[in-house]
Amino acid sequence: MIRKTIVIENKLGMHARPATMIVKAATKYRSEFRIRKGDAEINGKSIMGVMTLAAEYNSELELIADGVDEEYLIEEIAGLFASKFGEE
Amino acid sequence: MKKINLREFYNTRKDQFSLTLITGPKTLDNSISSKYLNRPGLALTGYFERFSNKRIQILGETEISYLQSLKEEELYDRLKELLLFDIPCFIVTKGLTVPAQMEYLANEMNVAIFSSRLLTDILFHALRKYLEDEFAPSKSMHGTLVDVFGQGLLLTGKSGIGKSECALDLVERGHRLITDDVVKVIMRDEKLVGSSNNDFGAFMEIRGVGLVDIEKMFGIQAVRKEKSIDVQIELMPWHDNLDYERIGLTDNFVDILNVKIPIIYLPVSPGKNVSVIMEVIAMNHILKMYGYDAAKVFTKRLQEDLQRKSKIPAAEQKEQE
Repeated sequence: MIRKTIVIENKLGMHARPATMIVKAATKYRSEFRIRKGDAEINGKSIMGVMTLAAEYNSELELIADGVDEEYLIEEIAGLFASKFGEE
Repeated sequence: MKKINLREFYNTRKDQFSLTLITGPKTLDNSISSKYLNRPGLALTGYFERFSNKRIQILGETEISYLQSLKEEELYDRLKELLLFDIPCFIVTKGLTVPAQMEYLANEMNVAIFSSRLLTDILFHALRKYLEDEFAPSKSMHGTLVDVFGQGLLLTGKSGIGKSECALDLVERGHRLITDDVVKVIMRDEKLVGSSNNDFGAFMEIRGVGLVDIEKMFGIQAVRKEKSIDVQIELMPWHDNLDYERIGLTDNFVDILNVKIPIIYLPVSPGKNVSVIMEVIAMNHILKMYGYDAAKVFTKRLQEDLQRKSKIPAAEQKEQE
């Protein structure tokens, strides 16, 4: 299992478009994927889960992957956050 | 250009338009090539400039009483001049007859005259509707058309994907089948209307069973002659790495006969209840037409929440928690 903490850097926060990008990226992998914010933890492959986290600008998230391709999954998802989803 | 054979028109539509043929059967060797109608009032008075002779000519009470008012020689000359034009046919309304001279001349010149028992106005509108459909742009599509909650859903996709089975399931749930396998699509009033390409009835092929008669099995409420096509649903096999619509913020459209309608690419896999999804698609389409877009409403609420929270400094936020 891998855990990685990231901070939301795009101003708009995790709205519908970034949420879709995360879910689409995560579903390509076989590993389980969860996202934690505070004491809320959701399935990172569920669009409703990711959106209802309502993770705003500057908030902290923990990415948790578990499975055969966990490293690749975390790498790609963390990359998406780092690129600010192509936003400001 | 499309033409309607006059004999075919008479044989198939005489009941619909209450027609009887006044002239001899030989006059039916003609064809209709215009979707418009004409009332030849001015032509009867001798004014033939811009006379729309290619259209079906409708003679109402006014035209007939005018012809009757003419002196015999004048009538003969006028009709001769009129009948020299290439005219598809005349239809006299209200069950009236034409002057004997006209019948004689029309037989001579091979122009059909029908008498209809309908009132001029009613015949006019019924005929226009019929001609508009006959001359409308049309195409034949491989698919199944069902009416779900009043929405016409056109199911498409490869053979064997389960279009017929899905339609059958919908019929069982109280929805209506228009046609299975081949849909004849026409454009009417800038909208698409689908119907069966034959008059044999609502038959359907179920693989492994053969042909079944939907109307006989489920009753008249399970079938429908025609329906507007509101949404196309393309059924496709499920692939793990294909991009499927997740939120519904982007609407996809497809062009059929230059009419744009929404299309939904629906992944199907064995054991998935597609009929329920069809009902949901129909209801969601109704909501969208009434101005309620669930995807937009949800994402707007989310965005407002994100914005509100990001305006509060992080320190304060911790305190609040």
